[in-house]
Amino acid sequence: MIRLENLTVAYGSRVILDAINLEIPTGKTMVILGESGSGKTTILKCVLGTLHPVSGRVLANGQDISTLKEEDLLRFRQRMGMVFQEGALFDSLTVGENVAFWLWEHTRLSDEEIETRVRTLLRFVGLESSIDSKPSDLSGGMRRRVAIARAMAAEDPAFMLYDEPTTGLDPFTSKSICDLIRRVQREFTTTNIVVTHDLTDAYRVGDLFTFIKDAKVIATGSRQDVEHSDDPFIKTFLSLDS
Amino acid sequence: MIDPFEFVLGILGTVQSFTLMVARAFRYLVVHFRFRESLLEMDRLGVGSIPIVFLANLFAGLDMALQFSVVMAPYGATNLLGKVVATSVIRDMGPVLASLVMSARVTAGITSELGMMSTTQQIEALLVMGVDPVDRLVAPKILAGMVMLPVLSVVGDFLGVLAGLAVAMFGAHVPAPLYWSGVRTALTSPNLVNGIAKPFVFGFILVSIGCFYGLRTTGGAQGVGRATTKAVVYAAIWILIANFLISKLLIDIWGWSL
Repeated sequence: MIRLENLTVAYGSRVILDAINLEIPTGKTMVILGESGSGKTTILKCVLGTLHPVSGRVLANGQDISTLKEEDLLRFRQRMGMVFQEGALFDSLTVGENVAFWLWEHTRLSDEEIETRVRTLLRFVGLESSIDSKPSDLSGGMRRRVAIARAMAAEDPAFMLYDEPTTGLDPFTSKSICDLIRRVQREFTTTNIVVTHDLTDAYRVGDLFTFIKDAKVIATGSRQDVEHSDDPFIKTFLSLDS
Repeated sequence: MIDPFEFVLGILGTVQSFTLMVARAFRYLVVHFRFRESLLEMDRLGVGSIPIVFLANLFAGLDMALQFSVVMAPYGATNLLGKVVATSVIRDMGPVLASLVMSARVTAGITSELGMMSTTQQIEALLVMGVDPVDRLVAPKILAGMVMLPVLSVVGDFLGVLAGLAVAMFGAHVPAPLYWSGVRTALTSPNLVNGIAKPFVFGFILVSIGCFYGLRTTGGAQGVGRATTKAVVYAAIWILIANFLISKLLIDIWGWSL
């Protein structure tokens, strides 16, 4: 479970998140929606511990991330997978090496064992044949798939975070990425946070939904809960998408 | 208008961040030494720089021998050419020239590489995967710089002295044995310590500054360009400052002996 308690983030006098409270139960996917620059990605950074809040805290399976020292954070992140907006694949490494990276760094597996695991992961995302390709040779959708495989390389990823995983992709590829996110959640029982501004994709992957506006949570809950919200911003957001 | 207080605070903040990065890098070199990555960096930074460093030292040796022979000939002192060329090359010109040439290649390369990684979230991806970028990227590079620059500098010095011999023999008509006997007298402890200590420190400077500005890069391609320019300029300035300080320190230790 991930819980955000009174989370406040500010850059100088500019408040990015203002006393946010959220709870994502184990094995569920929370989709965070909102305009660009509304602080959605900042929430992910706080969960990762790469950004420290001014006040409040982030609890992941009871562990307060905000108070962890750098070394403990590095250890903690080993059970966390993050898929960045453009994939953030290491461009000097091949697809296979990108997926193998976590295993090289944190396990003592033999080269054969690592290759077997890498092939399994790439098969899972449908890209085993691209194992020797460089990230620059892949399309946007393929790069996201590799990023998902890389994020799952940990033996037992407890949390998966996705930052705009379908931005810039065509509708077919977007749907396939959403299906993949769902499969990961089902098969690995991960607790997920997906940041997006695309309502169609949000409904495809989400169990719970949160709207952020002006640094505050304006609605959170199931699809029915947010669809019945009286907030004018949410009404406009939903009507624009439909 | 720049607030002087903010300006000083900014400098102190930069010095603090740089010191912390370097301290962490040295700590990782002790507690989590990466042999394979260090070797790869030595190959990339050192072996890849051989042609330009050697070429620079070769022409510096030629030029220095030429200039000194012009100055010394009227006094009949060209018999000292070997000693003078070797002393200048070993004590100053060799290490400084090798470092400045390397900073153009290595510092720029490191800053743009890490800068691109920063702007495309690859550095963040490393952190998320539980890997400290200072451990994986910075520490092996710093070690490689501190090992490879002295090696390149020493071989470059030899080439510079050899180039000086060509000018001495064919330009100033100094017999080769006389030139070499002068070179031998220049191979004193103070000179040799100068020749090793300087590139060792310069190697640290040019790599650590490149890494520091690379990891702090923001703002896309333009940001990478800005960071690279800044890193190369600062590396060159700090190499010259360090060169003076080391010279002063070693002269204070050994006195004026050559």
